[in-house]
Amino acid sequence: MDRKAELERKKAKLQALRDEKDRRRREKEQKDLEDAKTGAVAPEKDNRKDLDEMLSSLGVAPVSEVLSSLSSVNSATSDQLANETPEASLQPALNGSGAKAKKSQALSIIQVQVTNIQPKENVVYTKQTQTTSSGTHHERDVLSCHSSPMSGLIEDWWRPRKAHATDYYDEYNLNPGLEWEDEFTVLAFGDGQGDDEDHSLNMDHGFHSKLPPGILPHGLPTVKEVAPAITPQEQKKDGVKLVKELSDEQKQMIILSEDFQRFVMKSGKIMERALSETVDIYTDYIGVSESDEGSDERTNARLSLNRVFYSEQWSKNRCVTSFDWSDHFPELMVASYHNNEESPNEPDGVVALWNTKYKKQSPEETFHCQSAVMSTCFAKFHPNLILGGTYSGQIVMWDNRVQKRTPVQRTPLSSTAHTHPVYCLSMVGTQNAHNVISISSDGRLCSWSLDMLSAPQDTLELQHRQAKPIAVTCMAFPTDEVNNFVLGSEDGYVHSASRHGNRSGIGETYEKHLGPVTGISTHHNQSSSDFSHLFLTSSIDWTIKLWSLKDTKPLYSFEDNADYVMDVAFSPIHPSLFAAVDGSGRLDLWNLNQDTEVPTVSVVIDGNPALNRVSWTPSGLHVTVGDESGRIHVYDVAENLATPRIDEWQRFSSTLNELKMNTNEDIEEVEKKTPIPQQPSSLTSIPVV
Amino acid sequence: MSQEVEETLKRIQQHKGVVGTIVVNNEGVAVKSSLDNTSTVQYAGLMGQLADKARSVVRDLDPSNDLTFLRIRSKKHEIMIAPDKDFIMIVIQNPTD
Repeated sequence: MDRKAELERKKAKLQALRDEKDRRRREKEQKDLEDAKTGAVAPEKDNRKDLDEMLSSLGVAPVSEVLSSLSSVNSATSDQLANETPEASLQPALNGSGAKAKKSQALSIIQVQVTNIQPKENVVYTKQTQTTSSGTHHERDVLSCHSSPMSGLIEDWWRPRKAHATDYYDEYNLNPGLEWEDEFTVLAFGDGQGDDEDHSLNMDHGFHSKLPPGILPHGLPTVKEVAPAITPQEQKKDGVKLVKELSDEQKQMIILSEDFQRFVMKSGKIMERALSETVDIYTDYIGVSESDEGSDERTNARLSLNRVFYSEQWSKNRCVTSFDWSDHFPELMVASYHNNEESPNEPDGVVALWNTKYKKQSPEETFHCQSAVMSTCFAKFHPNLILGGTYSGQIVMWDNRVQKRTPVQRTPLSSTAHTHPVYCLSMVGTQNAHNVISISSDGRLCSWSLDMLSAPQDTLELQHRQAKPIAVTCMAFPTDEVNNFVLGSEDGYVHSASRHGNRSGIGETYEKHLGPVTGISTHHNQSSSDFSHLFLTSSIDWTIKLWSLKDTKPLYSFEDNADYVMDVAFSPIHPSLFAAVDGSGRLDLWNLNQDTEVPTVSVVIDGNPALNRVSWTPSGLHVTVGDESGRIHVYDVAENLATPRIDEWQRFSSTLNELKMNTNEDIEEVEKKTPIPQQPSSLTSIPVV
Repeated sequence: MSQEVEETLKRIQQHKGVVGTIVVNNEGVAVKSSLDNTSTVQYAGLMGQLADKARSVVRDLDPSNDLTFLRIRSKKHEIMIAPDKDFIMIVIQNPTD
């Protein structure tokens, strides 16, 4: 406040002086300009002394102070630079004085000129002010103190700035108009006319030429630099402090936000995969090597357990009811589960998406619905959709793109659709024309379009003779077939049927199993020789039967099992290989080209769980087995067993012929040949034929 | 849904060898953590910076590219960082176990 008052006073005084010297100034204007040229190189000391003297005589003391505080080095040149003073009214007075000084110097310039150029190197204004005043400073201070009545005051307002350079800048920043104007007046030289001169002069001095005209040459650069240097640090510190402040409530808000949940689900999945990756890339072969016996054993085994898919939460105590493999992502498997009787609060039906590619222990996705899922399949031509046939008779559809775990679509429970459990579900057709086929246990077949699940496109009652509905338990379409299919029923009969045509409905009825048919599998037939008429059935009567569509009698009956045979599956790549599981926990692989009487490989799964489902991975190198307790066991099949040799198809043809002949000759002979069940260990040593 | 989130995090935390799991928001604040406060703040701050830097490096090299995962192997730990638009997941594991 004091300073302001002082400045006001000073301004008033200067104003008075200006009026007085206005006249003189105009007279000498031309001279001034000339002087400026010469004065630019004038010795600064003399210059200042003269200035001070003159000003003090006029009662204007601060000039010397201001000059000293500003870089004394550059003062001489700066006089000309600072000609564009914002407040023009202040200029004339000082100009007048400056002019005087220069005018008097004009003669003596040249000699001292040389010595004064060097100090320009002191670039920074702050250093000048911060260092204890040099000899010249004192001189000037003394001079001004003595000569001016205002000097005391001036010193007062000026001193602290010298002492605290930064304070000074801060003040300048706060009210630049006040502070700098004063100093300006000292530095200001000439009026607008001096512009051209200044420019030409500036070119001569590297340091000053960087500054745009009209901006103070002294100190100002440092002012600008200092301020930003401090602020980012402060901001950072502020930021860090802010980071720590997040209340529990805010955290909870974030945790409950959808973004957060989506993130955790997504990144969590990736993280789990990354975590499950056990490969140690830092294996040191030069160091101590461990014995590799374990892995040797594994490679020798024809059938070895790879992993188990099991989720404590979702699959515990739930019987695995079906499998399907994704066409788009061969590593993905969908498994459906029956209800868990021990936890009535959990949803009855569950399907889980398992990934065989990563060693992640948890399912990729789980979906559920209100009724136990009896059958499931991928929507063949749509990678994101999964279908499920439920115990209640509804067909439900899940979408893995949505966060929802419950079905995105479901068919109605109505008499036009299913009202009985849907045990059979599959998708047939091509990319452009495909249908979902479902059969419920009351013998009703429905065809659905994925786009419209509100009503079936087509229904068909599957009836035995005498209009007796067939309790269908399993169904299979031969490869590339969309119309004809085979199905197994609860009463043990096996039927062929067709969806369309004048003979739609049940076609052929095959000789029966002695118990309900549990599983059916058609041949995958991927070669020239036609095996598409072949299919296998498994039954509770402990047998597996091989059939041909052309013959109502079985081609062969495999009677090696001593329990319910629950499922059977042809290999997708090998013509004569199939897998079967039974209720005693046994998994058998039969290669008909090697032996038709005993399985080629047989393993008993740990704990002898009743096995309900079996399937092959699309690659044909793994077998997956689902048991009654919700575990899915993935077995590796040795490559020499899983992959067919070139002659395998041919040999399979002859094997079939042999079987046909045998059955025609004598059934009893077959029965004689059927051996007593043997232990799997002895079977593994059967030589490759 | 939030229950599933909890389960996912729990599963990760219970994975063999996992020392800690932290979820950090884009301001560098730990939203969820299984570590004590001090190390959480430390990890959150440092790993957030590192992930930002890594992302800018990747983007500088190819503007159409983006950082998806960051793994750091050290003598003692492996730090895995899954960055996203709004959050970063940090998992510290002990790979030797």
